[in-house]
Amino acid sequence: MSDDPSNSETINTLPELLAHALAMETEAAERYGELADQMETHRKAAVAKIFRRLEQAEKEHLGELTEMCSKVDLPHIAPWDFKWRHNESPEVIDFTKVHYQLSVREAILLAFEHERKAAEFYAGIAQTTTDTEVQKLARQFAAEEQQHIGWLEAWLAECGPGDALATEDPDPPLCQE
Amino acid sequence: MESCAQKKKYAAKDYKSELKPIWCPGCGDYTVLNAITRALAELALPPEEVAVVSGIGCSSRIPAYTSVYGFHGVHGRALPVATGLKLARPDLTVLVTGGDGDGFSIGGNHFLHACRRNVDLTYIVMDNQVYGMTKGQASPTTAPDWEGSKLTPEGTGINPFQPLVVGLAAGANFIARVSSSDPINMAKIMVEAIRHPGFSLVQVLSPCVTFRPEQQEWRDTVRTAVVDYTDDAARAARRLMTDDGFNVGKVLYKGSRPPFRPEFENSNGSIAELEARFAL
Repeated sequence: MSDDPSNSETINTLPELLAHALAMETEAAERYGELADQMETHRKAAVAKIFRRLEQAEKEHLGELTEMCSKVDLPHIAPWDFKWRHNESPEVIDFTKVHYQLSVREAILLAFEHERKAAEFYAGIAQTTTDTEVQKLARQFAAEEQQHIGWLEAWLAECGPGDALATEDPDPPLCQE
Repeated sequence: MESCAQKKKYAAKDYKSELKPIWCPGCGDYTVLNAITRALAELALPPEEVAVVSGIGCSSRIPAYTSVYGFHGVHGRALPVATGLKLARPDLTVLVTGGDGDGFSIGGNHFLHACRRNVDLTYIVMDNQVYGMTKGQASPTTAPDWEGSKLTPEGTGINPFQPLVVGLAAGANFIARVSSSDPINMAKIMVEAIRHPGFSLVQVLSPCVTFRPEQQEWRDTVRTAVVDYTDDAARAARRLMTDDGFNVGKVLYKGSRPPFRPEFENSNGSIAELEARFAL
């Protein structure tokens, strides 16, 4: 499937950059929330806590962004017309990449991968745009994503070696018991 | 470019209910739910003008997870319920959701006649080639050599049901296959399916990570179909003859057969009138 970074185009207007940022942060906040819900439903409290913290961080970021966008007439962009470099917006963890046996370490690594993709997306826009205002804001957004990456690195360092045991399933699903 | 304020009347989350899905983490059905809500938002359909009808199974839980009208019906009977609803309320956009067992086995005969009747419905089938809710039995689309169930320890030995081939032969007016690993394109194809008049069939390869964990490899197995849709059923049939089930991401067939839409010219749509019409 298409996952080729060279497919992307750049962004040259502030409203278009803000529309992308708003969509990305909205979807990231919602997805982290949905993943936290899934893990709570399946009694994975420690993993749920990680996703819930990330949801909260994204919501705070989203609040600031929404305020910034309130004075701008944003263009409507259909979900498939965003200039993402991947199948979904870069900060969103694919639903099919999680599992009920997900460990805290794996959850952090997944989030790390997507926060890094988000930072790369903004950095890519900053590198390729012809508009200085877009460049400045894209750099600012990239720096904010780097802050999330920093948190994740710290959380990863806190993961004990016993965390790997979380992937073991003492009661695996049985076909027709 | 149209402005956001002009177009964006609804967000995808406006079509989600407060109920949290209980599917297994990693299930492809989460992606389908999101694609449906994205598609409805893009179409800017008021939630009260949409209905989702389902049968029984994991994927048939979708009506409960949406904020639109919903009917979680009887096993295999989603299509007749949806047909009745659409004929009685042609103003509604009616989606039907379900799985391969519900749609092609228990409801197999309804599937044939829904395609043939060509009522303006969009049927989204989450195909994971297994009965997941009942803990992993072979379904109509399971490969003949799958030995994962104690009921079929040497496989079923039966060739799998081919939903797109059967749908095309029976008269479905729009046919597409998508993968849950390609969520945005899935939403785009759902928009096309909903807009296309008549019976639209969208097969979604939606892995069951619990009872068919090997299906997680589908993400790497699927490939984007190389040709765009045809409006020629014979050409679509020829393409399906060389199809291995993993060509995804594009519409296969768009027909132009007019949908079945009986006219009730003097109807006022009241219950009393219906009672009078069907009174013995």
